[in-house]
This record gives sequence, structure tokens and C-alpha cells, in this order.
Amino acid sequence: MRIACPFCGERDSSEFSYLGDASPKRPNFAVDSPNSPAEIEDAVFDYVYLRANVAGDMREYWYHGGGCRSWLIAERNTVTHEFKSVTAAPGAGAALAGQAGE
Amino acid sequence: MPDFTWETQSPLRKALVVGRHGAGTGAAGVTLREVRDIALVQVMARRGQAAATAKAAKKLFGVEPPTSPKAVTAKTATLIWSGADQFLAFAPHSGDEFYAKLADTFAGIASLSDQSDGRCALHISGPRARDAMAKFCALDLHDTVFPVGAAASTAIDHTNASVWRSADEAGEAVYNLLVFTSFSDSLWHMIADAALEYGLDAGHVSAVQ
Repeated sequence: MRIACPFCGERDSSEFSYLGDASPKRPNFAVDSPNSPAEIEDAVFDYVYLRANVAGDMREYWYHGGGCRSWLIAERNTVTHEFKSVTAAPGAGAALAGQAGE
Repeated sequence: MPDFTWETQSPLRKALVVGRHGAGTGAAGVTLREVRDIALVQVMARRGQAAATAKAAKKLFGVEPPTSPKAVTAKTATLIWSGADQFLAFAPHSGDEFYAKLADTFAGIASLSDQSDGRCALHISGPRARDAMAKFCALDLHDTVFPVGAAASTAIDHTNASVWRSADEAGEAVYNLLVFTSFSDSLWHMIADAALEYGLDAGHVSAVQ
């Protein structure tokens, strides 16, 4: 399997590590649930422990440890293993990370 | 405070046996050299300082550092892309002024890390160099894909390595490798094994710019 790193180009998947679901967002208490401690607890539990077992397109973190050492966000189909896009994750190189918009 | 003088020694002092090895008796198909006496500094732009770092590098070296996987040769150093907003400055070792100059130039805008003794530099050349490298390096090294000046950060034998291509006086391809010092012994054996069937000429040289 080959993965197209936005910095290095296409490389063997053995150079990359899978770092999990890129979708969960850390709850922002001030915005999401300023009033209810129960809501806060639920949101944190979801964020830390609960993951969807997606069969289909998924946003996930990958790390190009065998190359440019950048964190990447990939859209991958977990059924076919097709990579639809690979972009720089926030903080991975100022020039490209800005485009990720996070 | 006591003054220490550190004596550098090659990480390949056990592995490297100078001379002609492997198949045949004529000209070797692969020439493998350890490059000694190097100065190597990793330069990483701090957040939002990529442009300022490039500008400072241009002032110091006379060339812009590469923003894509390439190696740029300047008068006093070679700048090798090593990741987003980062590059390696590679030069022959010439005393502490090199480091002082870099520290001065990039103060406040980039983080520097001295890798002179952290990495081991190798040259692989010769008519069968690419055949030998095909056994351990997954990069496409064809002339049209990896010409002179091309660079890559990749994994070789499960170890990170920086690779870039230069040319010798005759214009023949020289593949430059930077590998971790502590793994260089193992990698040297692996590269030598890959080259034996083509005839291997092993040795060491001093870095030149």
C-alpha cells in the first residue's frame, strides 16, 4: 500500500504509523455546556473513550515517522483501504497547516 | 572549569575495511565511502517563522533553503530539506565558527540542533550503485525522478535516513546518505552486502564543499 504524503510524495505505508480517529473534538466547556456538569462528564467520556467503528470513509491521523516526521490527516475508506486525500495536520509545517484550517 | 577535549572517532571504525571486496577483480561496480569530518546542523523554523528563517538562511549562505525535497548547494554548505519548515546544513568541519555563525543568524526564529556526531555521512557511487541501492531503498532513483539535487527523508532498513543526489567531477551520480551514528555500523554491513555481487570498493574520505 502506498500513501501520498503531502510533503514527500508517494511512499510505502511501512513509513507511516496510524494514530487513530481524527474526528473527536475536545469538549469546549465554555461553549458547549456551560451549565450542566453531567453534560460535561458525558462529553469528556465520549471524547476520551468512545470511537465509532466506521465501515467506509473515515478521517484519521497518520504519522510519517519514516520520512518527514509530520502528522497528517487522511481520508481513508476502511473497507477498500483507498486513500481519498492526505493533508497536513494542524501544526505540521506552518506553510501547509494553515490550509487545514484547524 | 576543566577544559575537555573530545576526540571524535568514526562510528564505522570496526565495520569499515578499506579496499576491494566482493565479486570480480576489475573496477568495482559500487564505491562506498564514509564521509568524515562533517559539520551538520538541523535547522527547524519556529512557528510562523518559516519566511524569516528562509530569509536569514539566504543572507548567511547566499541561497534559499529548499521548501520541497531537494538539496541546494551553496558556497559554504549544502542545505538539505528534511521536513516541513526544516532543513539540514551540511558542511566540512571547520571549527566552531560555523556553529557560532548559525546560532547568531537564526537566534529567536529557528531551533538548531548539532548533529555533526549524531549522523554518519556516506557516499554511494559507481556504475552499479543504483542496483545495489534498489535492494534496500524503496525510493525511485531513476534519473528522471531523482536527478541531481533531489532529496528525500525515508526509511532504510527500518532506520530514518536522509538521501540526496549529487554528482562527482565526471558527472556520475553520487548518492549521499545521512544515517544515525548508532545504526551506521549495521547499515554499513547491509549496504556492503547489497554491493558485494557488483564488486565493492570501500573507504573513507574527508568532507569537501
